[in-house]
Amino acid sequence: MKLRSRTSLSRGWLAVGAVAAVAAMTAVAAVATFTLVGTAGVEPVGKALPAQAARTSFPGLAAARGEPELTSIGASHPRRGQILQAKGPFDDRFVLEGTTFDGSAVAGAVRVTSDVSDVLELQVLAGFFDEQGHLIGTGRFVHHLGESHAHTGPPEEREQFRIPLPAALAHRAVSVTIAVPVLVNE
Amino acid sequence: MRRSSPVFTSTTLVAALVATAAVTGLAGAASAAPSTANKDAAKNVIYLLGDGMGRTHVTAGRQRFYGAGAKMVMETLPAQGHVSTYAVERNSGQPGKAGFRPNLVTDSASAATAWSSGVKTYNAALGVDAKGTVVPTLMELARQDGFRTGNVSTAEITDATPAGQMSHALARGCQGPLYSESACQDLEITGEKLPTNDVRVTPIADQIARNGTADVILGGGLSRFDTSDETALKQQGYSVLGSVADQRPATKADLAAARGEKVFGLFNKGNLTVEKTKQDNPAAPQAQEPSLPEMTRKAISLLGHNSTKGKGFYLQVEGALIDKRSHANDAAQTLAEIKAFDDSVAVALAFAKRDGNTLVVVTADHECAGFNIVEKGTFTNAEAATPPGNVDGGNTANSSSPTRPRNARDATRSSGIINGSGSADAGNFAPATFRTPDDASDVTDGSPEASLWLSYLSGNHTGADVPIYAYGPGSGQLQGSVDNTALFTIVGRALRVVR
Repeated sequence: MKLRSRTSLSRGWLAVGAVAAVAAMTAVAAVATFTLVGTAGVEPVGKALPAQAARTSFPGLAAARGEPELTSIGASHPRRGQILQAKGPFDDRFVLEGTTFDGSAVAGAVRVTSDVSDVLELQVLAGFFDEQGHLIGTGRFVHHLGESHAHTGPPEEREQFRIPLPAALAHRAVSVTIAVPVLVNE
Repeated sequence: MRRSSPVFTSTTLVAALVATAAVTGLAGAASAAPSTANKDAAKNVIYLLGDGMGRTHVTAGRQRFYGAGAKMVMETLPAQGHVSTYAVERNSGQPGKAGFRPNLVTDSASAATAWSSGVKTYNAALGVDAKGTVVPTLMELARQDGFRTGNVSTAEITDATPAGQMSHALARGCQGPLYSESACQDLEITGEKLPTNDVRVTPIADQIARNGTADVILGGGLSRFDTSDETALKQQGYSVLGSVADQRPATKADLAAARGEKVFGLFNKGNLTVEKTKQDNPAAPQAQEPSLPEMTRKAISLLGHNSTKGKGFYLQVEGALIDKRSHANDAAQTLAEIKAFDDSVAVALAFAKRDGNTLVVVTADHECAGFNIVEKGTFTNAEAATPPGNVDGGNTANSSSPTRPRNARDATRSSGIINGSGSADAGNFAPATFRTPDDASDVTDGSPEASLWLSYLSGNHTGADVPIYAYGPGSGQLQGSVDNTALFTIVGRALRVVR
């Protein structure tokens, strides 16, 4: 099983590089030829398929500029020592368990309650607050379950996380708000 | 999530299209597919997919609900065969081509891409081949050619099977509503991060809400969509049931009242509720979700009443929870989902018989969990202290290495029928038992007297071939054994969008 978990930190958000200025090709009319394995009377054939049938551009849809943010974190007001949960799109699919904040990291577990299946994607976003209740920085935990693997055990519904306080915020954060912006089960 | 540009164009996608070794020329031809009489052509195609439904799932459903001497509806279809389902590794060549590297156990994404686009791809890929090149789907081709299109599922509509017809994504986990690099990018395929305006890393919900691939979209997964998606849907003329902005799921009453050419109805924020739970809790809000046969009936009605220019419709229907409850090794719920799926087949078949020009295909994407029917009163390897005996002192030809004594039940692993006396033991590997119509009237589920004993090999997919059943024009091609990529050809020819 190829399992990749990592923690990344950010105050601002990771900016995805500008899209290379490749000439627009919305009118591309490439034709893919497929050779298919066919039995039961279906012979391998070459077929011309209009690639433009696949819609690949969406005018009006703004491209993502980085990792997901949730405004609900900034709107929360945890008091010293508190760990709050902010609203996210999947709050009815999990429970937070055993959350702690020792001044250097927030830790705990997300237990998925909606599916008995592998957790493909999970992101836990933590907002760190100072004594005055100001959001001073964020960190995130990212879980990604690779697909090109042989399953070696039963689906895991509980994912532990630990999100360190960014070094620049050392000794300033006194409370945390947590939210889950990304959750996908198989 | 911050978004930058109001204009969304794909660039690297195009490069990939051009770069693909398969690109050979200009298109338009398929849209002008042969109009001559074709005995395999159908006006409509209804493609029903039992996710994770292996041959034994069907047999167990038959025995549970109809009895040993009867058949499920799907088993009454005249053309019957089996489908091979293997996937390939990342960056593999296609079968018979250089660099071909099979992966013998598929996931739902790779399998959906096989029948939707006719190519083998890697597990997790949707609408792209094993090297990441976008490949058009049957639903896109049908839509382009003037067919009405529908996509129905008991899963989140962004889940692999429905998404395989109406999205193109490097990774099935890129479902939305928010982009994340981990969920959407795949550097093993692309080498470097794709710009976030590339369709292949665009959240699937964003794609579905904007590409108009399916006219009728019914299922779950409301949480994947946001207000901007609802706006985009309405701008395309969709009647949106419930409320995306308020995250209020639609109900079966909303579905019953739905009208119009384009309908978008999601009935749960996540996957739809399993049938057994709704049956056991009829007063629960979840019981207001429509069943799969109800959604199938409505989709056929909406698509059939609005066909134009002599064109028919192409409808995909997925019974997704067969797989999800098989992953959980919950035989009672698995069986109820199989029955609901078969009831949907009945709806489709009844329409096809009335219509006289509809191809109905019933199949699966892969088997899930090694579902099996074991002999009443016996035990499985999972319950045993050792595997079955492999020694015969009287005939050395029957012995091989390693030799073993006769196996025996391990009481710590087999503490009673799991839906009966052993139900309190979370570590119990014993079978679940179910009464059948052939059993005496006083026989109950979970008892040793029940005749249907069911067990699971694992909690994951297996590489077994899956059954296929078909009725109507072109169905004869599905008699025998086919690969899942051939389903693209057969259905595409029936619709006359593939030559």
